Order: sequence, then C-alpha cells, then structure tokens
Amino acid sequence: MMVTFNLAIRNLLRNRRRSLATLVAMSIGCAAILLFGGFSGNINYEMHTRIVQRGGHLQIQHRDFYLYGSGNPAAYGIDDYAQIIDAIRTDEILSKMVVVVTPSLQFGGIAGNYAASVSRTVIGTGYVAEDINRMRSWNDFGLRSKAALSALEGSSLDSAVVGVGVARVLQLCDQLKIERCPKPEKEPANDGKALPDDIAQLSLLETPVAGPGKSTRRIEVLVVNSKGAPDVTSVEVIHAEDQGVKELDEVSVIMHLEKIQQLVYGKAPPKVTSIILQLRHSDQVPEAVSRLKPILERFSGKQPLAIQDFRDLNPFFVQTVQMFDTIFGFVFVLIGAIVLFTVSNTMNTAVVERTVEIGTLRAIGLRQSGIRGLFVTEGTLLGVFGALLGVVLAFVASAIVNSLNIPWVPPSTVEPVPLTILVAGETRMIVGTTIGLVCIAIVSAWWPSYRAAQMKVVEALRHV
Amino acid sequence: MADEIAQADDVSSELPAENVIKHGPVAVLSQVEKTYQLDSISVPVIKGVNILVRHACFTVLLGPSGSGKTTLLNMIGCIDRPDVGEIVVADTKVGELSDDALSDFRAKNIGFIFQNFNLLPVLSAYENIEYPLLLAGASAKKRGTRVPRLLEAVGLSDRAKNLPGQLSGGQRQRVAIARALARKPKLVIADEPTANLDSQTGAAILNLMRRMVERYEISFIFSSHDPEVIKAADDIIHLKDGLIQKIQRKGFGDAS
Repeated sequence: MMVTFNLAIRNLLRNRRRSLATLVAMSIGCAAILLFGGFSGNINYEMHTRIVQRGGHLQIQHRDFYLYGSGNPAAYGIDDYAQIIDAIRTDEILSKMVVVVTPSLQFGGIAGNYAASVSRTVIGTGYVAEDINRMRSWNDFGLRSKAALSALEGSSLDSAVVGVGVARVLQLCDQLKIERCPKPEKEPANDGKALPDDIAQLSLLETPVAGPGKSTRRIEVLVVNSKGAPDVTSVEVIHAEDQGVKELDEVSVIMHLEKIQQLVYGKAPPKVTSIILQLRHSDQVPEAVSRLKPILERFSGKQPLAIQDFRDLNPFFVQTVQMFDTIFGFVFVLIGAIVLFTVSNTMNTAVVERTVEIGTLRAIGLRQSGIRGLFVTEGTLLGVFGALLGVVLAFVASAIVNSLNIPWVPPSTVEPVPLTILVAGETRMIVGTTIGLVCIAIVSAWWPSYRAAQMKVVEALRHV
Repeated sequence: MADEIAQADDVSSELPAENVIKHGPVAVLSQVEKTYQLDSISVPVIKGVNILVRHACFTVLLGPSGSGKTTLLNMIGCIDRPDVGEIVVADTKVGELSDDALSDFRAKNIGFIFQNFNLLPVLSAYENIEYPLLLAGASAKKRGTRVPRLLEAVGLSDRAKNLPGQLSGGQRQRVAIARALARKPKLVIADEPTANLDSQTGAAILNLMRRMVERYEISFIFSSHDPEVIKAADDIIHLKDGLIQKIQRKGFGDAS
C-alpha cells in the first residue's frame, strides 16, 4: 500500500505542470461550490432567523386557524391561554428549551385616517411588545446583521406600528418620515348618488375634523368584535415598519395585545389566536413538539388545538431553501462533471504516456489490481489535494468578501445587511463537497486505470 | 526448405547436459506455436518449437529480424501465452495459471532485462532494485541487506540515490540487471540487452551478466545479434521463420 502511495505521489510530481493544471481546475471548482453553498446558506440562515424572530419556532393555534382563521380570526380564539403559557413555562424540560412564550391575537379590519379621508383593509396583530423584542434578539446562527426592535415596547396602550405600505396609503408619510412617498392626486368629491353601501366606508366620508391638540398620526381602527358587531378605536401610529414583503407591508397593523383584546372581546374573557414559542435552537423543535402534546391535551377538552412549526407557517421559506438546495445540487453536478472530465483526461494521458512502464511493472510481477490501484491512487490524490486546495481557496475568498462589508438586501429582509459567505464552520458542506469531489476523482480515474490494467504486457512493452 | 528443417530441439531427444541432470531444466517448451492476427491476416510467428533451457546457463536466441526471437522470449518469460503447446518454467505448467498467479510466478521466478532498460523513472537506482522486493513483501531488514549487495555487485554503490535520468546507458542497464536479480529468480530474460549500448559498455555488461550466472547460478536467456553475446553463450538456439534451425550447446556440439 505504501509502495503504491509512494509511487503515485512521485508520478504526480513527475508531471508537475499537468498535475498542477488539474489541481487548479479542481480547486477552483471546489471553491466555487463552497462559495455558492456559503452564500446560499447565509441567505437561508438570514431567512430562518428573521422568521424565527418574528413568529417563533412553534405556534399553538386552534386546529382550523391556519386554514380558515384569516376570514374571522376572533372565531378561532384559544381559551385559557394564560394557563397554557403557565404550563409551558413551568414544564421542567420545555422551560430549558423555550426562550420566549408569548400570546398573540390576529384580527382583520379597516384602518382609516379620518383627517385625510383615506382608509384601507388591514390585517393586524396584537403582541406583548416586550416579548416581541426579546424574540427579535434571537441569533442562533451568529449572523452579523441584527433585526430592528419594535417601537411598540414602552409605548402607551393606544400606540400602533403599521407597515410602510399602510402608512403611505393612510397618508402618514410626513408624520412618520417615510421616503419614496409622493403625494397622491386629489380624487373628485363624491356626490350623493355614489355613496358606498359599506357603513365603514360611509363613515369615512364624513367631513374630517382635526380638533385642536389631536395628533395627526392618529388613525381609526375598525374591527368586528367577538359578537359580530363593529367596534372602532383610535390609535396613534408611532412608527412605520417595513415588513419585507409588499403584500404584508400594505396591510400590517401591530398593536398592544391588551388593546386589541379590549376591542375584540370587550368585557368577555380575552382570548388569543396563537401562542408563540421561540426555542433556543431550531433543532429542538421535534423534542419541544413531543413535550407540548401532552400539555395541550389537558386544554383540548373544549377546543381542538394544533402545533404549527415555523416551516409549516412559512412555506415560502421552505420553498426558498429547496430552491437553493436544488441550485446547489445543480452547480455541484456541473462542476463535478468538469472535474470528472479533467481528472479522466489527466489519467488517460498518464496511461498512454506510461504504457511501457505499465508493461514493465506487470512483467516484474505487479498484478492487474496493482496497476488499477496505482492509477486510482493517483486520481484519489488529485481529488484530495484539489478539494483541500479548493477549501483553502474558499476560506480565503469568503474571508475577503466578508471583510468588505458589501451591503445587500437578502430575500424577506428589509434592511441592507453585509454580504456574507459562510464557509467557516459549515463542516457538513465542506466535508460533503470534499468527499463528493474525491469520489468523482476516483470514479474518473477508475476507467483509465481499468484500461491500463487490462493491457497485454507484451503490447504494453512494445508501445512506442 | 521449411520441411527440411526438422524440429531442431526435440525435448525427448535432447542431449542430457550435466547440470540438467543435476538440477533439471529451467524451462521446457513443447510444440509451441504462436500466431499474430494483423487486421484480417494471420501471421504465424512460432511454428511448433521445442526448447530446453538449462540451469545456470547463458542461452542465446539467434536469428534474423522477424524470426520469432522476442515472441519466444516473451512466452518463456510468461508475459505472453502460446496458442498451441505447453511451456513449463521452474517445474510449473504456466499455461494453467491465472493472470494473477502468473504475475506472482513472474515476480518469484523470472527477472527481466530490457533493451531500453525500462527502469521506473521516478525511483532511484536503489529503489528500482528494491521494488521487486517490496512487491514480494520482503522485510526492511532483508531489503536493506540485499539491495546494497546487488548495487555493489553491479558496481553502482555510489549511484544508489541517482534517478535513472542521472545515469548513463550502461549504468541504467546495470541497475536493470540488479533489479532482475533482486528476488533470486530461476531465469532471467534479456531482450537484446546490449543493443542500445556502445561496444565497450556492452562488453562490460555482458561480462557482468556472465559473472552473475556464475555467482548466483541463474539461467539467462537472451535474444541478440551481438557477436560478443554469442561468443559468451553456453547454448545458442538458431531461429528462422519461427522454426529452430540449429542448437549449439557448449561441450555437446551441434544438434539439428
């Protein structure tokens, strides 16, 4: 074995230029795979982190809320949510895994700027602001970017944060200092015949009165309460927050949970539509789910409850990860094919050049398997050194790119983050790519080595 | 003419040489035939040959180009197989051996010296000689004893670390001889070993091989046109058109 290894090393060094060209081709290919993997991996981590920061890892909901809840969220409220949260917080195992467990209430309604005579339908959420900000500091992957904290924390109960799109439509751009917000042209005044049938729209057609001392950032939010009647409240928009996705940005209103509960449930016992759990690590999800099930069974007598994980709740994330995985696989196959042909070509040339040598080795007693072993070892060595060189190249290139702090906005992120290529620490990707390329190199060397071993000794010795 | 040429070396009628009785022949070829296929044409190269190679003798295959010398050497060296007939080398019917068994057999019993030396260019003189021993799994101690002795025997102790490219033609052929002898084979096949050497170096190499025959009691079988080689031979087998015309054995006269 050592003889073969020694001979293989020397044969590679004998044709330094060819070996070097093969190594360079392999290492560039390997580095390209790792850099792309590091880039797409970082995007996945960014998305993963943002999703967990906003919605946690798990949400306990009414069984049908995920499918039907958007129509009438109040109808899918969870009773006794405070007891469920208590049970989770006091569970011996869950308490070690859970970073934040917090209730939220989703609602649908209409938001209107009475002073500006504009309104739009919205989807709102009521949160415990302090919990939301704790969730936003989750950074299990050690990303360099940080999520902005919600302005809701520490604000008065009648405060709200809206999506930038909502703020634009409600003409709050000046008050909230929103960029890219041209003034819309005035619509012609409606006459009596064109009055809308919708009572909410009709109420907004009233002549606006901006009373003295009234904040111009105030909006009215109309929701349907748990009894089916409309309820209106006035809230002060303290901040417009980009939600990352335009569709969401144009409907999002975030309020204090207590405020929206008062509006929806009045004096009745308050409910929530979700209990959000954020775990220390994403790989704790299965364990947390199995621990949660018996707890929920205790509260499922009157209401069917279900646990949704962040992947179920964010199919876009799963699709994006799958897309990047597919592209990564495609890039690997392409580069693998290039490596296959490069190594194969190198080994074929070596076999032709060393035909007499093959004959000599066979004549002095080396078996066919010995010849195969020799050339496969050479291919393997090319694969190992090429891949290792590629790993080093990828480390250096990623370190350079990361140090440049090039700003860019990855999918589902609202603020520019420094372009990051994660190679260091991605052991699975590095080991997988290295082993993959070495295997390809071995496969590429196998056929030339087989041909070499099958040569007739006499013909090999006669080769000119 | 071909009909007139009898099978010159009928094994059964071979004159028993003294060392054959004592040690038995190293190689025996019986009714060996070999035909090459060139495109659609069959070219018979060896046409039913019987040969006996004596122990510790210097045997030369002599004949014009195309007479079948190299083919015969290849078959005796077990790197080619006959189409018809039987070859026994070192008391083994080599035709019955598988490819792997034949490789092992060659490694143990046969040494090769090539016209173009065929040293492994990436190995030093020492390592080239050591290589057959490594293939055999010889211990480091055994290698460490045997290789320097062989280097000394061929007069290249001071060139042990040189690569073949750093050696002259004569020196390379000395290394090739040492490599051929490394595993103490019973038979050494040498295809025109002096053809690529000047006459002085060729004579020195021939002298060296002669000494090796005497020292290690190994049979050498050559193909050669070199008159010096012929002069040094114990047995001369004359080949023409794939047939043996005459065998001259020193001390036994001619057989035909």
